[in-house]
Amino acid sequence: MTDDIVLQIFQVLAVLLLAPLLQGFILKAEERVQRSRGPSLFQPYRDLWKLFHKQSIVPESASWIYFTAPIVAFTAMLIVPILIPVLTDRPLPLSDMADMLGGGMVLTLGSFAIMLAGLDSGNVYGGIGSSRTAMLGILAEPILILVLVGISLLAKAMLPFVVNHTLLSRPSAYWSPTHVFLVLAFFALLLVETDRLPIHSSTHIEIYMIDEARILEYSGPLLALLKWASMMKQFILYTIFCNVFLLPWAMAQIGTPLGEVGSVLSLLLKFLLVATAVVVVETVQSRLRFYRYQEPLAAGFLFAVLAIVSSQLI
Amino acid sequence: MFLAHVSSLQASIFSLLAIFSLLLAFVMLGSHWLRNYVYAFAAESWLIAILSAVVGYFGGYPELYVIAVLTALFRGLVLPYLLMRIVQRLNVRREIHAVLQPSASLVVGALLVMFAFVIANHMNFQASTAGQVVVLALTIMLSMKLLGFLMLSVRDEAISQILGLLVLENGIFLGSQILVPGMPMLIEIVILFDLLIVVACFGMLVRFLLVHAGTTSSRQLKRLVG
Repeated sequence: MTDDIVLQIFQVLAVLLLAPLLQGFILKAEERVQRSRGPSLFQPYRDLWKLFHKQSIVPESASWIYFTAPIVAFTAMLIVPILIPVLTDRPLPLSDMADMLGGGMVLTLGSFAIMLAGLDSGNVYGGIGSSRTAMLGILAEPILILVLVGISLLAKAMLPFVVNHTLLSRPSAYWSPTHVFLVLAFFALLLVETDRLPIHSSTHIEIYMIDEARILEYSGPLLALLKWASMMKQFILYTIFCNVFLLPWAMAQIGTPLGEVGSVLSLLLKFLLVATAVVVVETVQSRLRFYRYQEPLAAGFLFAVLAIVSSQLI
Repeated sequence: MFLAHVSSLQASIFSLLAIFSLLLAFVMLGSHWLRNYVYAFAAESWLIAILSAVVGYFGGYPELYVIAVLTALFRGLVLPYLLMRIVQRLNVRREIHAVLQPSASLVVGALLVMFAFVIANHMNFQASTAGQVVVLALTIMLSMKLLGFLMLSVRDEAISQILGLLVLENGIFLGSQILVPGMPMLIEIVILFDLLIVVACFGMLVRFLLVHAGTTSSRQLKRLVG
């Protein structure tokens, strides 16, 4: 029992500490593809360190939302790793506290808090960022719900751990068209939710910025918390994509320390694969116009609908 | 009827092939470029050829191999080649003024698939694996027909309209391969030659339109010329 609790804590710590590494790898790989050297793998850690040691400047118009939003976002990202299989595929204590819809709600709560913070200070760019995020959220949320419905129809359960076990034990479920479509739909969602290119990347050019615009007023430690939260969100979505959908293998099952180290290594290996696919997409895709943002999302929606239809068939 | 004793492995192979050909119909709906339509149509025809070969293998219909070869040859190579020649002769590379944007037509297409599924589910009375394959084949057949109609009605260019017609026909052909695989070969050959004639006629029409009206978009052809 205490082992399980320790393991649960380690799941959260793994997400907390490895999230900047994933960000660093993606940034580095993108630069390497373009034949330049790119920042170091550990640059996101250094950025966070620097931001935590800077002074925080608060706009005069800021209310209490301004101060609570980063903390809410950060805490939400700390709660989600409890609910999903990060290091082990055994059900841990408190992991059945919420099903996938609950986990999705906690994830969305974080971005909702940041959206409010963008509107709070009355800055023009914050408003633009918040309204754009709201539009993307409206387009992306149906896909998320449909993917969750599809995976629960496939596995006959709403808990991520059970889904992982079903995919492991039934190859016919893994290779069914439902699962293929769910993976495709979730990949479209992954690109949108982690700010990757067909939609946009986190540039500082005003026309394109979405996520950057919402947090433009922040500085110092609060900004560090927000950046860290968005890296953790990316890590969590990658974990769900790998461990629940695409690659349910190679996770510790008994819970020995050696097994946990091994599953950290295999997790990094899986992320390497997915991040490489994301980098390929970012390299071959050009940025879409704002009024064509719905196209990749419509494709994701279509995949999710097809998944549900084909889950009714076989 | 061979569907009565189909195993679950065969059922999943059929469903994968059929669903991927449905997906290629969606590629046509979601793209702007005329060239992509032709490629998607060719790939879809190859998938259907593979499907009829697989049905022939598992169901013991040797004549289906001939049909598979003919399908791959005519629908997979000759028709796309002819269409590609028409596309290259046109000075249009993409659909510009579509009635429905690609994303909207994808969503409408998804709704049509659901509609087709509901209808197919009502038409099925078996509960076994065979029943599931029947529902699948009916769903894909009906939804490819509906998607073909959708392409015919929302796209302007002559080349997209003929591709809509061909998708519609591909859907019927796919359904017939799974549902009634013992169809006489003569009928299949007649259908293939019909398609050739359709594409040849469209080629003539496109050439005529280019010379006399200067455009192949149905949007431009509303004016009466005396």
